[in-house]
Amino acid sequence: MTLASRLTLWYTSAFVIFLLAAFVVFYLAMVSILDERMDEDLEEDIEEFAELFEDKGLAGVKSEIAREVMAGDEANIFLVLLNNEGKAFYASDLSHWRNLKVDDRAVRRAATKNRIVLRTVEVGGQEYATRIVYGRIGPQVILQIGESVEESEEMLEVLFAVFAVVFLLAIPISSFIGWVMARKAVRGIEEVSETAAHIHGGHLDQRVTVRPQGAEIQKLADTFNAMLDRIRDLITEMREMTDNIAHDMRSPLARIRAISEVAVSSATTTEAHKQAASTTIEECDRLLQMINATLDVAEAEAGTAAADLQTVDISELARDACELFEPVADEKQIDLSCELDNGCSMRGNVQSLQRMLANLLDNALKYTPPNGKVGINLGCADASIKVVVTDTGIGIPQPDQARIFERFFRCDQSRSETGCGMGLSFSQAVARAHGGEISVASEAGNGATFTITFPGSRIFPSPVRD
Amino acid sequence: MMRILLIEDDATIAHFIRRGMQEAGFSIDHAADGMAGLDLALNDSYDVGIIDLMLPKLDGLAIIERMRERKNNMPVIILSAKRSLDDRVQGLQRGGDDYLTKPFSFSELLARVNALLRRANNIVESTELSVGDLSIDLLARTAVRCGSKIDLQPKEFALLEYLMRNAGHIVSKTMIMERVWNYNFDPQTNVVEARISKLREKIDKGFDIPLIHTVRGLGYVLKHSEY
Repeated sequence: MTLASRLTLWYTSAFVIFLLAAFVVFYLAMVSILDERMDEDLEEDIEEFAELFEDKGLAGVKSEIAREVMAGDEANIFLVLLNNEGKAFYASDLSHWRNLKVDDRAVRRAATKNRIVLRTVEVGGQEYATRIVYGRIGPQVILQIGESVEESEEMLEVLFAVFAVVFLLAIPISSFIGWVMARKAVRGIEEVSETAAHIHGGHLDQRVTVRPQGAEIQKLADTFNAMLDRIRDLITEMREMTDNIAHDMRSPLARIRAISEVAVSSATTTEAHKQAASTTIEECDRLLQMINATLDVAEAEAGTAAADLQTVDISELARDACELFEPVADEKQIDLSCELDNGCSMRGNVQSLQRMLANLLDNALKYTPPNGKVGINLGCADASIKVVVTDTGIGIPQPDQARIFERFFRCDQSRSETGCGMGLSFSQAVARAHGGEISVASEAGNGATFTITFPGSRIFPSPVRD
Repeated sequence: MMRILLIEDDATIAHFIRRGMQEAGFSIDHAADGMAGLDLALNDSYDVGIIDLMLPKLDGLAIIERMRERKNNMPVIILSAKRSLDDRVQGLQRGGDDYLTKPFSFSELLARVNALLRRANNIVESTELSVGDLSIDLLARTAVRCGSKIDLQPKEFALLEYLMRNAGHIVSKTMIMERVWNYNFDPQTNVVEARISKLREKIDKGFDIPLIHTVRGLGYVLKHSEY
C-alpha cells in the first residue's frame, strides 16, 4: 500500500468518523428539544383551559375546544373532557382516534393530586406515536389532549435524509481532498526516489530539484543532494587513485618483466642471474610497499578502535624518531634539531602516531638538500599538543599545497621520484583519527613547515581500564 | 632434527618454504588443505607449525582453534595475505604465536621459526655472543673485537645484537626496523642503511675480514666469511 493511499485512507476515515459523531450529537439534541417543546405546549394548553374554565365555565371551554381543532387538524390533535372517573363527556372530532383508550391511573392522578400527567402511547390506526396529557381544569373536569408526534418525527426524518446525503457525498469528496493532499506531500519524496532510480543507472550528475512545499521535503532533497556530491567526489577520487595506482604499479612491473626477460634470454652467468633476482626482489618490495601504504591510509582513515587506544608518551615517540633519523641526516649533512617538551602524552594508537612522526621527518629529510636544516618541535604548553616539523627543502608551490594530502599526489607530476605520495595522506588520516589537524605553510624553494595540533581534551584522558 | 608442519595450499609458496627449510636443516611435512593439515597436526608431533589462513576445507584459524581445544600446544606461525591490525590481533588471540604477512622473505620466516623454537624449548641464552673475533656481552652491553673495545650507542648495540643473534642468516630491513626500532613500516629514506654503515665503520673498519655483509635485495647478514 502506498504512503499516499494510506494517508488518504486515514484522512477519509478521520473525516467520516468526525462527521458521524457530529450528526449523532446533533440528532440527539434535536430529539430532546422537540420533545421538550411539545410537552411545554401541552402543559401550557392545560393551564390556558383551566383559566378559561374559571372565567367562562364549561361552555367556554367547549367552544374553545371546537375552535382549537380546526378542520383538517383532527387527524393530528384531539381534546377530550373527562370526569373524575375517566368518562368522556365532550370531545373534538375523534374519527381518527377510534382506538383511543383512557389511562385510568393517569386520570386518577390528575383528578386527585391535581397534577399534569404526560404519556406517550401508540394509538391503533395512527402511524406515529401520540403524546397525551391529562390535566384537571375544574371540579369534575379533566382535560385530555393528545397530539401526534408526526410533525417532529417528520422533521427528524428530513434531518436524517439530509445527513445521509451529506454523508454519502462526504466520503468521495474527503477521499479526493485527502488524496490530493497526500499526493502533494509525497510528491517531493517521489522526486527524490525518481532521481535516485535514475542515478542507479549511472547519472551521478543529476540532482533533485523540489518545488517549495515544506521544510521536511526540502531537507530530504538537500541531504540527498549532499550525499550525491560526496559520492561523486569519492568516485572521482577513487578513479584518480586507481589511475595513479595503476600508473605507479606499471613501472615496477615493467622493470620486473624486463629483468626477467633478460635473465631468461641472455643472462649466462650465475652472477647475472643473481643480479636479476635481486633487482626483482627490490622491485617487488617497492610494489608491496605501495600496496601496503594505500591500505594503511585506508585503515588510518577508518579510525582506530577504542580498544587499541592507550596513553601514549608522544615526547618519547618524537625522541625515538629523532634518534632513528639522525644517521640519515648525518649522511646527507643535514642539521637535524629536535626541541621536544618532556612528558607530553595523549590518548592514541602508538603505532600510527609513531609512523606519523616518522613520515614527517622522512619527508623533510627526503626533500631537503645537503647542508640544509630539518627541525622537529613538540610542545604541550597550553592544553594542546603541537608538533611542528620544518625543513629548508624545495618547498611546495602554492597551488599544490591543498593537494599534497591527497593520496598519490606528488608535487612533480613526472613521478620520477621513487616512493609514492602516501606519507602525508597517512599523517593527515592519523591526525584526524586522533581529533587533530595537520596544516602546511610553504613557499616554493623556501622550505616547508608542517604543523599538527591535537586538541586539549586528548591530553589528559580519564584513566582507562586495561 | 626439528620437525616443521607446513599447511599451505599454494604449491609455489609451499615448494619455496619446503626447500628453504630443508636447506636450513629442518625436516618438513606439507599438507595442501585444512583437513589433511589438522590430521597431521593432531596425529603427529611437530616442533613448529606454519599455517596459511585461507585454506580449502578448513581455514587456518579453525585448525589452530581445534588444535588448542585438544591441548595441542605446537607453536604456530600464521601466514596470511591480510595485514590489517585487526587480522593480526585476531590471529594471535585465537591461538597463533606469530603472524607473518605475504609476501615475506624466507629469511624472515626462518628467523621467526628459530625464535619460536628458542622460546618453546626454553633455551637458556648465554649472556655472551661471538662471531669470529667479535664478541658482545649482553649484560654489560659491550662489544669487543680482537681484544679492543668498541664504543657503541645503545641503538647501535641493539642492532649489532640482533645481527649477532641471527648470525649466518639474512635479516631484512623490515625485520631490523621491527625488531630494533619497533617500527612496523619502511621509511622512504635509507634509515637502516645509514645505521648499518655507521656500525660497519665501528666494527669492520681496519679489519681484513668484514663481518657485516649486504645481500642485495634481501638485507644484511653478519658472518665470519665471504658471503
